[in-house]
Amino acid sequence: MNWDSFIYFAILSILFWAAGATAAFKSKRKATPALLTVTGLLIFLLFIVGLWHFLERPPLRTMGETRLWYSFFLPVAGLLTFLRWKYKWILSFTTLLSTVFILVNILKPEIHNKSLMPALQSPWFAPHVIIYMFSYAILGAATLIALYYLIRERKIENCDRLLHMTDELVYAGVACVTLGMLMGAIWAKEAWGHYWSWDPKETWAAATWLGYMVYIHYRLKKNASSRLSMYLLLIAFILLQICWYGVNYLPSAQQSIHTYS
Amino acid sequence: MRIWEQPWGYREGFIVAVGILFSGLLLQFSVGNIQPTLFAYPVNGIIGILFVIGLLAVHFLFPRNRTVRWFGGVYAAVPAITIFLLLCVILGLIPQHSHSNNNSQLPSTLLATLGWNRMTTSWPFVLLCMYLVFILGLTTLRRTRQKQSWRDIGFYINHVGLFLALFGGLLGSADMERLTMSVSEGEVEWRAINQLGEIKELPLAIQLDSFLIEEYLPKLVLIENETGSILPAEKPENYQFEDTGKTVRLAGYTLEILEYLPHAAILRGDSNLYAVPMLMEGAASAIKVKATPPGRKESVTGWVSNGSYLFPHSILPVSENTSIAMPQQEIKRYRSYVTFYTENGGPQQAIIEVNKPLSIGNWMIYQYSYDVAKGKYSDRSIYELVRDPWLKVVYAGIFMLLAGAMFLFIAGPKKVESEESNTQSAKTKNV
Ligand code: HEM
Repeated sequence: MNWDSFIYFAILSILFWAAGATAAFKSKRKATPALLTVTGLLIFLLFIVGLWHFLERPPLRTMGETRLWYSFFLPVAGLLTFLRWKYKWILSFTTLLSTVFILVNILKPEIHNKSLMPALQSPWFAPHVIIYMFSYAILGAATLIALYYLIRERKIENCDRLLHMTDELVYAGVACVTLGMLMGAIWAKEAWGHYWSWDPKETWAAATWLGYMVYIHYRLKKNASSRLSMYLLLIAFILLQICWYGVNYLPSAQQSIHTYS
Repeated sequence: MRIWEQPWGYREGFIVAVGILFSGLLLQFSVGNIQPTLFAYPVNGIIGILFVIGLLAVHFLFPRNRTVRWFGGVYAAVPAITIFLLLCVILGLIPQHSHSNNNSQLPSTLLATLGWNRMTTSWPFVLLCMYLVFILGLTTLRRTRQKQSWRDIGFYINHVGLFLALFGGLLGSADMERLTMSVSEGEVEWRAINQLGEIKELPLAIQLDSFLIEEYLPKLVLIENETGSILPAEKPENYQFEDTGKTVRLAGYTLEILEYLPHAAILRGDSNLYAVPMLMEGAASAIKVKATPPGRKESVTGWVSNGSYLFPHSILPVSENTSIAMPQQEIKRYRSYVTFYTENGGPQQAIIEVNKPLSIGNWMIYQYSYDVAKGKYSDRSIYELVRDPWLKVVYAGIFMLLAGAMFLFIAGPKKVESEESNTQSAKTKNV
């Protein structure tokens, strides 16, 4: 299965996710939206597995391939949030965002290369990237909530509940970011001789992590301002975007050993 | 709200953090970047011990001092992390000079004066890092005075873990040695070159028995003759060889793959280059293709090769300004079969490969490079040798942080009800 068949799987998945998101508003129980979303996810996963098989390596190398995982994990994060707090609109948001990433992949596929350079051939490769993509999706969901809060602050009845939700998402997301980062450090020691070289990608990973550290610690005080907390989340997410793909466009990136194709 | 009046809050936190930043800048102006060699063992060891003694002294001698307690709290931590984050952002934006060349070689720009083009050895960066370690230490110590609950396990492994990782990384960086060593097939080498270009003799020797490179199958691309850029410009395509007899489409052209020679000699014919089989060192890969331009019947047939150190490239012109070409093949893996000798051990055999370093005594030996000009026929292997005596401290920290992250994932944030009970927020609410 190669990229040519992506569009069919993607459309089918999006339809199921959209159905799930609609059902979240309509039905009283959680089961229907959950089942629809999971069906969409399974279809999408089928494509990932097929692509993996076709490439004869994990599809984790090119930008397009990481976007693929991101589009997959967004509905996962949305579904978990929905099941945990029964927030009706979260599935619509994650479906929409996932669709955007799918569209980018369909309209602007980058060179889909079969080969994997030696430094990437490591058992750390797959867990390192997958856990990062998963954390990005969770933190993306937290950011959506922050935006929602900032736009509709006046009209929200239960602000504390929203804040607790972002806290929970950030703790889970930051835990995964930490795991991904440290796995990266151990891998870097094995591949390049040093666990941390302040390469631009590593620097921005540190900046992202510190950004969420500011949020976590700021929120520990009871007198913390809710608005500022949400702004901190937005800033941290911007740092995350720079770390993910923004670095490629920065002057400092010419020295990076982290840019693959 | 007055500044410096207890209880202290974020305001004082930012003043202290920015104060450290400016002290760092002043030091930077007066003495320039930190020379890591000045802090090599035993200096870093002594500093480390003094630092820990200092932390413990501050903690135990002034148990009731409000300022000490403040330093171990969120009001000091958040500004400290924020200012350090700011420096990281600058570090991430500005291209960095390598640390191996001397100060004098750098242009004396504003960036150099601020230390921003060698951020990680600049005074502000290192001082703020130390300040973070200091806060981490005091926070952890202060926490031991409170009533303990199961949640504190997560707190301790995270903060002690980060303390160890930063502490070990910071102090250990002065002791880290990175050398490169180049060995030719059949030879023994025990000398290596450090980052300053000096030759060092090692307590070990490496003999390269053989060096092997495996390549991926070759690819074909359509290029623009003048620029050499791959077409179509907005979405470059390539075709990786699979089997002869296949017909594929590449950038609009129809290609029929007629022949494939993994080991070929490229010879000059009447008008074109052509390939014949040659099983010898220096042989190149070659593919014979029949190319038909989009929407036409007539086709061009010929050999395409990426050459080698013995033979030239061969491209197949398919129109006035485009040709079919074969880019350098990508490397799948490269590895060295070596025999190594240590001072007290006899010869032992091993394989060194990317991602699979060899560990001998205090040294880790990495497959680093090879004779790139000779490509897959390289008979020379280049290694990087790394010695990092503080690695164990850093790894202890990293593994604690890994455990702490899992704890964080499972435990999640503190429930709202219990927040009051074990933080000092009640006392400092009015800031
Ligand atoms: C960057 C350096 C760090 C500093 C300066 C710092 C400082 C602090 C401080 C002062 C507190 C409040 C403790 C108290 O009130 O008793 C705290 C709590 C906390 N920190 Fe950190 N910390 C740092 C890094 C981390 C890391 C790496 C993590 C986890 C990945 C983390 C997670 C937490 C959590 C979860 C709490 C709340 C613990 C609880 O009350 O259950 N911190 N930290």
